[in-house]
Amino acid sequence: MNRPIRRALVRDPYQLVRLAGWSVAETAPALVIGLAIARAIDDGFGAGRPATGFAWLALLGGAWLLAAVGARQVVLAVAAIVEPFREELLAHVVDDALRHSVASGRGPGAGAVARANLQVELARDAFASVITVVRSFAFTVVSVALGLATLVPGVLVLVLPPFCAGLVLFSLSLRALAGRQRDFILADERTAGALADMVGGLRDITACRAEERVAGDVGLRVTEQARAARSLARVTALRTASLAVGGWLPVLLVLAGTPWLLHEGAGAGVILGALAYVTQSLAPALGNLVEGLGINGVRLRVALDRLLRDGEPPVPARGRLAAESGGAELRGVTFAYGPHAEPVIDRLDLSVPEGDHIAVVGPSGIGKSTLAALLTGVLLPGSGQVMVGGVAADRLDPADRVLIPQQAYVFRGSLLENLTYLSDAPKEAVDEAVAAVGLTNLVARLDGYSAEVDSGLLSPAEQQLVALARAYLAPARLVILDEATCHLDPAAEARAEEAFARRGGTLLVIAHRLTSALRARRILVMDGTSVRLGTHEEMLAASPLYADLAGRWNPSSRQELVP
Amino acid sequence: MRAADRLVAETVRRGGPWLAVLAVTSVLGAFAQLALPLVLGRTVDALVADGTGAATWLGACAGVVILTVACDTLGVWASGSSGARSSAWLRERVVRGVLGIGPAITRRFPEGELVTRMGLNTEEIGRVPESLVTGAALVIPTAGGVVALTLIDPLLTATLVVGLVLIAFVLRSFLTVSTAIASDYQAAQGDIAARLVDALAGARTIAAAGTADRERARVLTALPLLRRHAMAMWRANARAGVQAGAVVPLLEVAVLGVGGLRLAAGDLTAGELYAAARYVVLGAGLGSALGYVGRLARARAAATRVDELVAESPRAYGTRPLPPGPGTLELRGVDAGGLREVDLVIPGGQAVAVVGRSGAGKSLLAAVAGRLVDPRHGTVHLDGVPLPELSREALRRAVGYAFERPVLLGDTVAAAIALGTDTPARTPGTGRHGRRRTGDGRVEQPGANREVVRAAARAARADTFVRRLPLGYDTPLREAPMSGGERQRLGLARAFAQGRRLLILDDATSSLDTVTEHQVARTLSGELRDRTRLIVTHRVATAAAADRVIWLDDGRVRACGSHHALWADPAYRAVFQAGAS
Repeated sequence: MNRPIRRALVRDPYQLVRLAGWSVAETAPALVIGLAIARAIDDGFGAGRPATGFAWLALLGGAWLLAAVGARQVVLAVAAIVEPFREELLAHVVDDALRHSVASGRGPGAGAVARANLQVELARDAFASVITVVRSFAFTVVSVALGLATLVPGVLVLVLPPFCAGLVLFSLSLRALAGRQRDFILADERTAGALADMVGGLRDITACRAEERVAGDVGLRVTEQARAARSLARVTALRTASLAVGGWLPVLLVLAGTPWLLHEGAGAGVILGALAYVTQSLAPALGNLVEGLGINGVRLRVALDRLLRDGEPPVPARGRLAAESGGAELRGVTFAYGPHAEPVIDRLDLSVPEGDHIAVVGPSGIGKSTLAALLTGVLLPGSGQVMVGGVAADRLDPADRVLIPQQAYVFRGSLLENLTYLSDAPKEAVDEAVAAVGLTNLVARLDGYSAEVDSGLLSPAEQQLVALARAYLAPARLVILDEATCHLDPAAEARAEEAFARRGGTLLVIAHRLTSALRARRILVMDGTSVRLGTHEEMLAASPLYADLAGRWNPSSRQELVP
Repeated sequence: MRAADRLVAETVRRGGPWLAVLAVTSVLGAFAQLALPLVLGRTVDALVADGTGAATWLGACAGVVILTVACDTLGVWASGSSGARSSAWLRERVVRGVLGIGPAITRRFPEGELVTRMGLNTEEIGRVPESLVTGAALVIPTAGGVVALTLIDPLLTATLVVGLVLIAFVLRSFLTVSTAIASDYQAAQGDIAARLVDALAGARTIAAAGTADRERARVLTALPLLRRHAMAMWRANARAGVQAGAVVPLLEVAVLGVGGLRLAAGDLTAGELYAAARYVVLGAGLGSALGYVGRLARARAAATRVDELVAESPRAYGTRPLPPGPGTLELRGVDAGGLREVDLVIPGGQAVAVVGRSGAGKSLLAAVAGRLVDPRHGTVHLDGVPLPELSREALRRAVGYAFERPVLLGDTVAAAIALGTDTPARTPGTGRHGRRRTGDGRVEQPGANREVVRAAARAARADTFVRRLPLGYDTPLREAPMSGGERQRLGLARAFAQGRRLLILDDATSSLDTVTEHQVARTLSGELRDRTRLIVTHRVATAAAADRVIWLDDGRVRACGSHHALWADPAYRAVFQAGAS
């Protein structure tokens, strides 16, 4: 989990050197503040030499100005470390989302993307804050120790032990604090989620008269969150105690030890200087560390946990094999979406010779798209074998088969880029494909192939036509249309399907309308209990479901299997 | 007192005894903070002079430090606890208020706005005690610091004021710069997000084409631009923060210089010089004290927004049970929104289709028929009882609704179907929806209810696909990605499990494929035939299968009769042609 953090820190050693260098400048006041005040009072103003006093104060002022310049450079150096970190996380989010949705065939949706982006921002800000605070703490402690040693070495005995005790106390409480902070963040998010669900479902809640029940559920979340907040408040209060030991005990010890320090030859200025070191540098640095690690450290952890949770390494791409033919063969294929789920496809045998044209018919959710995913090697069967072109489906070169799903993919880019997504087709071939699937009107409307398109600009039907033309151009020998024409009107659908039938190769159409079945050479009917394959006439006799559909089918009512 | 202020006061009172603790610790702590520089300075003076009072001053020092720490510790605890209690109380109240009003409230406030009001705004109001007390208490050390400084030398105070103005100026100029940069930055972020959403929608194409790597690069096109804008933001941030951060220490140095001169002249002791320097730092904190006043103003504004949600009167339910009957539905002179003077009697156990062009008032009729919405005028009776007189329980058991786009609520698929069913009342220690959590955290559905759920799912043709989900009926809703048709089937199952006497289907089979719709239609005319069914539809087949058709046109009942008889009217046929295109 800490790998991105480690990588961010070692990615560019120059930035670390730069950060360290400017950190010295930034903590210059921590080094000189006590010394300057002590000398200004003891050797300057107190000794009747104001000029010496002003000189020491000028040194202090200079240190603060240097610190200002240093602080600015520190921010930029930290930015140079956390920005690549953010980019890595963002790339990971994109990778992860793509990989998951590619595996499941369904995207996590815009909401999930927005949430992931927010987590990345949170992680970056928290990381920046943690670096800043930890580094500032380390440099300040060293500077103060050096300053005190220069001023009056004896005082170190009074300051360092209680300070270290406070630090130890804090590190002991850090685990509890982090746990509570984490619980609170999670409870807060759950409450927000419950509220959003409730508001989105008000109509349904009223319809189910479930107001009381939902109020109870949401109330439970609210109570849990309040409990987490109270528990966090308790631990935060305890944390204040470690600050007291580390920050205030040294002050009292310095005062108690003053007679001894005076006896050693220190003046009033030295005492005030020592106090300045502790109250103005050491205590604030400790406070910032406690706050920074206690809150931002936890935030960073939570965000990273969440972003990297599904971070299994990508499956190494195995060598892809070219197809030996355009056919497909399933032998005893069984597939289920989980070990406790019923199989979607159960011991299916299917043989599709090269050049065949098959329509798949059945109610939605019966496993037609699962069949398509198995044929394209996106899903692996639980048992049995899926061979496409004589090669295991998941090892087949993707160029040898093409799948057009119901949801057409149109990306931001030119129309030509979208059309030649799966091929390097020359202009003439693109023209031919456009004419064949019926995209000519759109090309004319957009005024050529160089027009920029994105999914928002095109109607669902136009998007499907773009996807169809793209598949038409692909060199694949097996084409699977998974309700790829559902937004087209019946005439446009017929035209597109006929274009693919003429194109050559093997065609598998998951039918949206029964007309698709009538155009096919053979029909595969999936009705949930069995899978049958045959011609229209054979299926009328063999499949009650198909006979029922065909019997009620009326060409003029544009009957759809799936709307 | 304004309603919003009353709400704030009421919320604050719910903080309980912690509030008093917070007030006491804040004021005490503030005085301790103010006293500390003086006491420290005097102690050093006394120790250096080796005066007899040194031990007393040392004791005072220890006392003030201990007081500061104790107040700080208790204050943090108290503010966290009182805030948590206050906002939880307010939030629960608002949740009940919103649920009581029901879907009508979403017509006045968009959903996102409602969530903000119930989440963020209640939180802001819950923090009022903290802001009030801390803000008031901060005035003590800051104002006191300025006073103390003035007592030492008015010139120092003048220097301080100049410094504060300088800080305010710097912060303002930062705000104007950063908003411009921030919008560029957000645009670059938005580009990446939009491309990712596109690519995810095309996931199956990408998977089959094996082009995930290319897509990754395409999505991240704007990354260098994002880096550039981000660095610009960091730079603006660094500049403003650093300028503001250097002002206070430099002021302190200036005060040390001026005070040093007075020390040399013998007008000040070393301890007083130290105290003056510390008071500058305290006095410079006035800005953040004013920030708390701003928070208070925000909380009052938040209270106004939240009060709008609580102020509306909730829907009232009656107390009458439903007498035995066949489920006869009667609408008398109903006016609601676009509906005008609707008089209808639907005999119990009939299947009635509601048809009409879009905007004719079909959904409104469905909403009025089961008291999802109350009509402006007229009454709706179920088996002779006006709906508003029925108890919530009676209404819940009698009427089930299914929608075109059902919103499913609950942890699991089974819980979503069971939302409107009888489930054992929740008792302390049990999980949500009356399900018990077993020792290992598994969720158990009471057996009887589980059977109701499965029967309803079978009737809605949802059983098969639910059993194919990774954990079947116990699959968490969030992990069960569903198509529109699958969601509709769960929505139907929910209605079937709930409404024993009247089922209202508002276009609830529109996303089903013809095969499934045919099967659902058979269930409706088969095992569910004893319930009255009101079915809003666009499809001819559904209208044809109904016992009767109500044809709505522009908010009025244009005709009521059998589909077969109505079909002769070309205008009636046109209704379906419009729906199909």
